[in-house]
Amino acid sequence: MKLNMIKAMALGACAFLTVGTASAETLRVGMECTYAPFNYRTADGELAGYDVDVAKGVAEIIGADLEFVCQEWSGMIPALLANKFDLVVASMSITEQRLEKIDFSIPYRDSIGRIIGKSSKDYKLFDETGVAIPENFSGLRVGLERASTYANWFEAKLPEADVVFYDSSEAQYLDLRNGRVDLIMTNPMKAYLRFLSKDEGDGYGFASPAIDEVKYFGTGVGIGLLQGQPELKKRLDDALTQLIKTDKLTEYSLKIFPFPIYN
Amino acid sequence: MIFDFELIADSIPKMLMGIGLTFQLLFLSAILGLILAVLLLLMRISGKWYLSWPAQVHIYIFRGTPILVQIFIIYYGLPQFEFIRDSIFWPILREPFGCAILALTLNTGAYVSEILRGGVLGVDRGVLEAGAALGLSVRQKFIYLTVPIAARLSLPAYSNDFISLMKATSLASTITLVDMTGIARTIVSQTFAPYEIFISLAIIYMILTWVFQKTFGRIEKYLSRYVKPEGLA
Repeated sequence: MKLNMIKAMALGACAFLTVGTASAETLRVGMECTYAPFNYRTADGELAGYDVDVAKGVAEIIGADLEFVCQEWSGMIPALLANKFDLVVASMSITEQRLEKIDFSIPYRDSIGRIIGKSSKDYKLFDETGVAIPENFSGLRVGLERASTYANWFEAKLPEADVVFYDSSEAQYLDLRNGRVDLIMTNPMKAYLRFLSKDEGDGYGFASPAIDEVKYFGTGVGIGLLQGQPELKKRLDDALTQLIKTDKLTEYSLKIFPFPIYN
Repeated sequence: MIFDFELIADSIPKMLMGIGLTFQLLFLSAILGLILAVLLLLMRISGKWYLSWPAQVHIYIFRGTPILVQIFIIYYGLPQFEFIRDSIFWPILREPFGCAILALTLNTGAYVSEILRGGVLGVDRGVLEAGAALGLSVRQKFIYLTVPIAARLSLPAYSNDFISLMKATSLASTITLVDMTGIARTIVSQTFAPYEIFISLAIIYMILTWVFQKTFGRIEKYLSRYVKPEGLA
């Protein structure tokens, strides 16, 4: 009881402080600063990337100044808990496990999977509404990473498909190129950066729409913040909603990828 | 830690679904490997350098490198060449099964040919001289004297290699084949229970080893039926 009172008082004090400094509010944002193309330093030392754009966009809307703090990945949540910064904008996926420690805003990037195959084949794997057509998968071999979210999705949606499992995505791309598998399903952003945008990905393209079922792929990437800050969370959510509505997120993603990474 | 026996009971039948593939890999590559081994042996003891050298090079390469590396070179390396993908061998090399059989065969062939050579060298000179005295030709001596004796002498070492080969089939799981080990690895990545699953897998392999050991023991006994046990002569 007493503890709760103290907690409540502490929270009240915090809220008071936040309100008190609202005019010249500075939000400290933690990120890796080495995770291209989401948050990284350009050749002239400037921070850039999708996470950086989102952070700046949010800050502009809520009228706060930004201060970026570079933090190594494994210490990101501990550093937030130790109040080294106020927000984590570091391509951090919203997961059950993390939600036990910290809060998240609404997602600003999707967790999605997409199927990749030879562009010339023009597979008709999905209908206009984005639902898989099982018959059109027959005779095609699909490469998946063992026990990945994509493997779970395939098992649930296309149990009849001829799938093989890989331990690394490198091996998956090799076998796609060698013609041992006809299709692979993976994260479209990584696929674009590592394969499709390179010479070896020539002649390959997406053979499916973005598949984003939360049940299989999770909620997505959100802004992390300390628990017990409903007001700040609401301001972040509102700001992100506004960025989504004004197509700003699409604009940020098109700076890097030829497709939006937020639906 | 708590040992989850229910998980073991659940996963053993699942892993046994891969035993067919394990056996296919084992027996097919054992038979092909034995044929290769005999060929290599004949090349080595032919006395002609242009036959003996290639055999020695093969044996040196496949005994001198890890089987996992051989599997990776065959599976990932060969398809990098356009002409291999256009060749008549591609239907075999395209399939992970074909690659695994090829790698296991080439590997076991090298080892077994050395084992057989040991057997051939172990044949008592006196026996061959007796054969010559009876007027047997070189070929007859080889077929009727050397082969049966060499086979008996090689068998203990061969049974060893056979068991090694059985264990080597588990490496096929690294090139997407779903043998017992492949199934076990998938279960582990779903349940995060490596201890229970891999121990169960090890037990299955140990049971197989026991069966093969006993079988080879019987064959050994059969082949030695004319040989008096030492000390009783």
